[in-house]
Amino acid sequence: MMTLLKYEIYRRWRWLVLRYAALIIIGAILLNRVSSPAYQYEFIGESIGKFALTSLVIFIIIIVEGINMLKEDLFEECGYLTFTIPKKGRTILASKLVLLLLQLILWTVITIGFGSIFFSKLPYHEIVQIETQINFYFFPTVLFLLTAFFNFVLMIHFSLTLTKTLLVNKKYSGLLSIGIFFFLVYLIEKVYYGPFLNQIKHISIEVGSRSNIDLLSGGYTAVFLNIILIAIFFTATSYLLEKKINI
Amino acid sequence: MEQILKATQLSKYFYQKKALDKVDINIEKGKIYGILGPNGGGKSTFLKIAAGLLKSSQGEITIDNEKPGEYTKSIVSYLPEINHLYKWMKVKDALNFFKDLYADFNIERAKESLKFMELEEEEKITSLSKGMMGRLKLTLVLSRKAKLYLLDEPLNGIDPISREKIITSILDSYSEKASILICSHLIYYIEKLLDYVFFLSEGRIILSGNAEDLRNKRGMSIDKLFQEVF
Amino acid sequence: MEFNNNIPIYLQIIDSIKQDIVVGKLKAGQKMPSVRESAGILKVNPNTIQRVYQELDREKITYIKRGMGTYVTEEEKIISSLKEEISQKIILDFVEGMNKLGFSNKESISTLKEYLSKEEEIWNKY
Repeated sequence: MMTLLKYEIYRRWRWLVLRYAALIIIGAILLNRVSSPAYQYEFIGESIGKFALTSLVIFIIIIVEGINMLKEDLFEECGYLTFTIPKKGRTILASKLVLLLLQLILWTVITIGFGSIFFSKLPYHEIVQIETQINFYFFPTVLFLLTAFFNFVLMIHFSLTLTKTLLVNKKYSGLLSIGIFFFLVYLIEKVYYGPFLNQIKHISIEVGSRSNIDLLSGGYTAVFLNIILIAIFFTATSYLLEKKINI
Repeated sequence: MEQILKATQLSKYFYQKKALDKVDINIEKGKIYGILGPNGGGKSTFLKIAAGLLKSSQGEITIDNEKPGEYTKSIVSYLPEINHLYKWMKVKDALNFFKDLYADFNIERAKESLKFMELEEEEKITSLSKGMMGRLKLTLVLSRKAKLYLLDEPLNGIDPISREKIITSILDSYSEKASILICSHLIYYIEKLLDYVFFLSEGRIILSGNAEDLRNKRGMSIDKLFQEVF
Repeated sequence: MEFNNNIPIYLQIIDSIKQDIVVGKLKAGQKMPSVRESAGILKVNPNTIQRVYQELDREKITYIKRGMGTYVTEEEKIISSLKEEISQKIILDFVEGMNKLGFSNKESISTLKEYLSKEEEIWNKY
């Protein structure tokens, strides 16, 4: 896996350096603007906004790239090379996911790093207001979002892989992948999070744990559920890649 | 004689089409085989199944007594007809990739072969001509010390000079411990290399036999025989 | 070497080697190239060469020195009988060819005599 990971990094190392350097540099420039002695509070909102936008764009790039890492091996000619090297399906998939994970972590660290510095520049009363809200929910929420997006990419990988086992032509594959993906999302919303959540709600109330079960605000339970989904989709996709795909 | 590949009643269906229909093929060690036939007859499909890219619909295939999978990929060296090398690579990246992922890859031999094929290490894959790409792919595939070489149309779109080099390279890789399976519809150039031939059309084997015996019995070249049959 | 793909390759190679021995291109006692070398030079399957060498060995035209390779025979008898064999074949081809054209054997002989004496004349002019 390390060998494959090495190549996944090597082939796009310039892009990787570029995007994080850009994020850091833009962050630094914007930060500089609100740090000067002649600082006016009116800049802060604009600067935070611009940084958030940059960060969001980079995030989208990371996610799209993460999806394409498997998509091109499944649907383009280079798949003939990827799937004839003596590596198991899970190894091939893992090398791509590890790079995705590393990037998500790096992105999160940079964004939160700059984000917290920006927040510290806010007028005092605003800081206090936000802080109390953030504290309790912050860490689980971050974890929840990370695992959710990681799972999102993995579910798309699964949809693409399943499509490739069912269809050989490229014609309807886009449609089928999207169809499978949305079906999975529906399944998960209705079947997985719904009843499961209620079960766990009862258990955690009984045990008296602090975990928050409201999905949107995060909570370790939701994170745990995401991790289970990740495990399921990783196993399923690996199995298909190893035994069922037709390139 | 030991068998390296054994396909029994191998079939592959795509929707309504039978790409392979109950094919039986045995490949012995130390021999060079030709699978000959018109385009779309099933040759590439057979090779892809042996390489582990396609799953058979019915029947069995084993390579060194194992089903296609991680192990067989480590002993099978496959040359596809299409350009499968990663487009971001330079020639040297391709060499290093093969060295890193295949334990049986001989990088010294590959570098010598590059000189023979007149290819530069710093060239980008995307800037190679068809002939150069063909020579590069073949260099990579034949620089491995595999037990089974699967060559899908190695001479397609190749200029006469490259063709001679490719034929020489194929002969250089020959060993009594390995087998070579060549698919081609350009029979004239490769027929002298072949021990045994299979004629494959519409997914079925129409004819098979030792090349010299066929020349003797039919009184014609394999090329002519092919034209007669098809 | 140009091959006729319509006839078994190994037979053509055997004939070619026999010819080389008779004309002296391959000397008596000379070492033959290895199977691999021959295959590479002639661009044919090594197993074909293997068959050629086996056949030559069987006919005692070559012999194998253990661990050293294949050598052309040193026996004059065999080489001259080879010369005989090849010349007989040429003569057979000639006779059959002429008969096919409608020449009788007598006519064939006189045509041949004529041709050969014309040849000599041309040579003597120089």
